[in-house]
Amino acid sequence: MATACARIRLVITALALLILAAAAAPVAAQQPNAVNPTADAVKEQQLLQQMPRIQGLGTIPDTKSYVIEQPQGRQWRQYHEVWLPRIGTIAMLGMIALLLIFFLVRGMVRIQSGRSGINIVRFNVFERFVHWMTATCFILMALTGLNITFGKVALLPLIGPSAFSTWSLAAKYVHNFLSFPFTLGVILIFLMWITGNIPNRVDVEWLKRGGGMVGHDHPPAYRFNAGQKMIYWIVVIGGTAVAVTGYVLMFPFYGTTIAGMQLAQMVHGTVAVLFVAVMIAHVYIGTIGMQGAFEAMGEGTVDLNWAKEHHSLWVAEEQARTGPGERERQPAATPAE
Amino acid sequence: MRAFLVACLAIIVIGGGSYYLLNTAQQPAGIAFTTDGTRIDPSWSWRVNASDKPCEPRRSWQWIFVDFGDPHGESKICSISQ
Repeated sequence: MATACARIRLVITALALLILAAAAAPVAAQQPNAVNPTADAVKEQQLLQQMPRIQGLGTIPDTKSYVIEQPQGRQWRQYHEVWLPRIGTIAMLGMIALLLIFFLVRGMVRIQSGRSGINIVRFNVFERFVHWMTATCFILMALTGLNITFGKVALLPLIGPSAFSTWSLAAKYVHNFLSFPFTLGVILIFLMWITGNIPNRVDVEWLKRGGGMVGHDHPPAYRFNAGQKMIYWIVVIGGTAVAVTGYVLMFPFYGTTIAGMQLAQMVHGTVAVLFVAVMIAHVYIGTIGMQGAFEAMGEGTVDLNWAKEHHSLWVAEEQARTGPGERERQPAATPAE
Repeated sequence: MRAFLVACLAIIVIGGGSYYLLNTAQQPAGIAFTTDGTRIDPSWSWRVNASDKPCEPRRSWQWIFVDFGDPHGESKICSISQ
């Protein structure tokens, strides 16, 4: 009996030791002293998940230099190396493809009733000056900005590192310092055209009828139709966003941290590529997309029939205000400006 | 056309003016974010180690035109931008 009890105790003890050993094994594997080549990396990842950043101590005044690792920087790198090029490519090439299809299907929107031979003043010299100042800055800043995102992939293999380095340095200066006339232009555009760009009921009707882009419909519109109002607000809001975030990047650490500037760059890049995509559409409709549209910003005048077809309420307002013919001028008597 | 040309002129004036204005108000990052104790000589660059003659310090914008010729009497190494 005693022997049987001793054997049972021995079996129970052995089983208990076995269970204990099985349970303890994974715990031992997680100990720092265990032979596990990835243990340090695991610890670092856990540390980074638990802390916003790994920061040491220093004696120099620049406290930013104390930061050793900042996990958000990896997300930022993923954004500007992967996501931003993807967003930009899809937005810009997608817009070009859509416009190409639209042009092939619809063709140029022509003046249906033909040219009247009578011109009406659409934009004065100051309005055109502000438009071209902003537009020229935008085009140059778009090209130099896209160089930052796409230049390494698209341009560097073509022109080589030396030329790319020189071009990129010049592009950076152009991008930075054209921001000032661009911002001034956005402010002036906001003030100059705000009264004509408040949405109203006419815009709803214009949008319901597709702006007359499909078929030969001509929905009524005041000086700016709903499409132009959308462009206006995209320029004002998008322009403000890229300007503010751009200045945050141009003046580093003025009230911002590394994380703040990374966020600013993400907003700046995303808004900018979408802005470029929208402006491609704006350029299209202002040039090859619509007969007689470029003259409005080129010479400041448009054909009366064009104005009646696309901005009938504006023409009626102008004629009621000044009397028919007063703002209308014969092309022969109209100088370039 | 005249409005466009005037706009281009305004861009040059405002852009160029802001460049000179900011250059008077701002310091280079190497000076702004360091102290005398930690700062190296701003005119120093790795090029001086490879050159038998001293290199003239370049302003940042001068690097844009660096491929178009070397200052007279300077070693060629002084104008390598890479």
